[in-house]
Amino acid sequence: MSTMWSQAGNYLPILLEGVKGTIILTAGSLALSTVLGLIWALMRVSGNKWLATLSEWIINILRGIPIIVILFYIYFVMPDIGFSLSAMQAGIIGLGLAYSAYQSENFRAGIEAVDKGQIEAALAMGMSWPTTMRRVVLPQAFRMTLPPYGNTMIMMLKDSSQASTITVAELAMQGKLLALSTFDNKTVFTMVALIYLVMCLPLILFVKHLERRESKK
Amino acid sequence: MINIEDVHKRFGDNEVLRGVNAKIEKGEVVCIIGPSGSGKSTILRCVNGLEHYHKGRITINDQLVDSNAKNISKLRTQIAMVFQRFNLFPHRTALENIMEGPIYVKGESKAEAKEHALELLNSMGLADKENAYPPSLSGGQQQRVAIARALAMRPEAILFDEPTSALDPELVGDVLKVMVRLAREGMTMMVVTHEMEFAREVADRVLFFDHGVIVEEGKTADVLNQPQHPRTQDFLQRVLNPIRP
Repeated sequence: MSTMWSQAGNYLPILLEGVKGTIILTAGSLALSTVLGLIWALMRVSGNKWLATLSEWIINILRGIPIIVILFYIYFVMPDIGFSLSAMQAGIIGLGLAYSAYQSENFRAGIEAVDKGQIEAALAMGMSWPTTMRRVVLPQAFRMTLPPYGNTMIMMLKDSSQASTITVAELAMQGKLLALSTFDNKTVFTMVALIYLVMCLPLILFVKHLERRESKK
Repeated sequence: MINIEDVHKRFGDNEVLRGVNAKIEKGEVVCIIGPSGSGKSTILRCVNGLEHYHKGRITINDQLVDSNAKNISKLRTQIAMVFQRFNLFPHRTALENIMEGPIYVKGESKAEAKEHALELLNSMGLADKENAYPPSLSGGQQQRVAIARALAMRPEAILFDEPTSALDPELVGDVLKVMVRLAREGMTMMVVTHEMEFAREVADRVLFFDHGVIVEEGKTADVLNQPQHPRTQDFLQRVLNPIRP
């Protein structure tokens, strides 16, 4: 046991570099997927047939392609048509795009769970569709969307490790490099697993807290 | 003020309005009665464009009501609606519910909207409920907040869609009293209701709906006391004497 952990202190700074990458990658793609997901969801419920169909197709395409392939496409194929991105940029865009499909379905479920009478009351007082969304529907949908949103955050944190395949210097990548150079697979990957778990814990507690709050209502 | 000419409406193959004609003058109180499924709520919802109608014409102050037209929001600010299930915004307080339309539709200042909203709450006997959220209010209180919310837009007419049908019997009176007061103050009202006493008290006219058409209409006393059409007679018999054969 002591031999296993004797090097841990030396490994930690290298792995913490990876933690920084993981956090930047997760935060960036979370923000992007939230914005895009909201756009897809609003297109879907806009009442405009063209926008709704377009959104449906975007979601199905994004859901039907593995995240890793989306990442490869953005990082390796985009430069061929003139868009050169850093590994981190490509990672954020790839994960953000892939997850926007799931975010959108969460948001749509929340929006559609709002009582139709609420929309009628807003429209009947002369509210425009955008104002109805902003003032009446989204605030109520937001509450219902929070618990699944928390789950998505946890999944994104873990799936950010897939960006190691396009050389983003995040935690899994740093771990792999460290293990390759030290042959100390057991220590390194145990540490990597524990660090992921520690990062997930606050999110898991946050989701639990939200679910408890919702069930009280 | 409200003109309804030969309006037809169907849901799929089910024709719920089959040529409805009616005229509501400014200051008039018109009660719409009839069995459920007769189209009485549907015509109300067509008047403010919540439902699309397939044939005919509805105008408000000579402006065509078309649920797909750009001006529909503007038209709706002239005609308020009170719903059976209140439809208050649960995430906003009673006061905020009333201020919502004036601020975000009419562009009134917060101070101006708040002053008017407090006045309205007070007139509904709910002065102490300004910070209460709708789920904590009784049905009767919620409906009075909803009526205040309708009045806050200073509408020219109010449509009531069975405003007391979802209330416990002992709370119906509070809401009807408010509606009687509004009628006496000269508000133009179209009221879908089963409250015959209310109709007798304030309605100028009664329209009796059955199977998507107005079967009988006339002065309230005439229709309720001497109904001419057998279907009206049958309906009133059932409503007024529910347990006698």
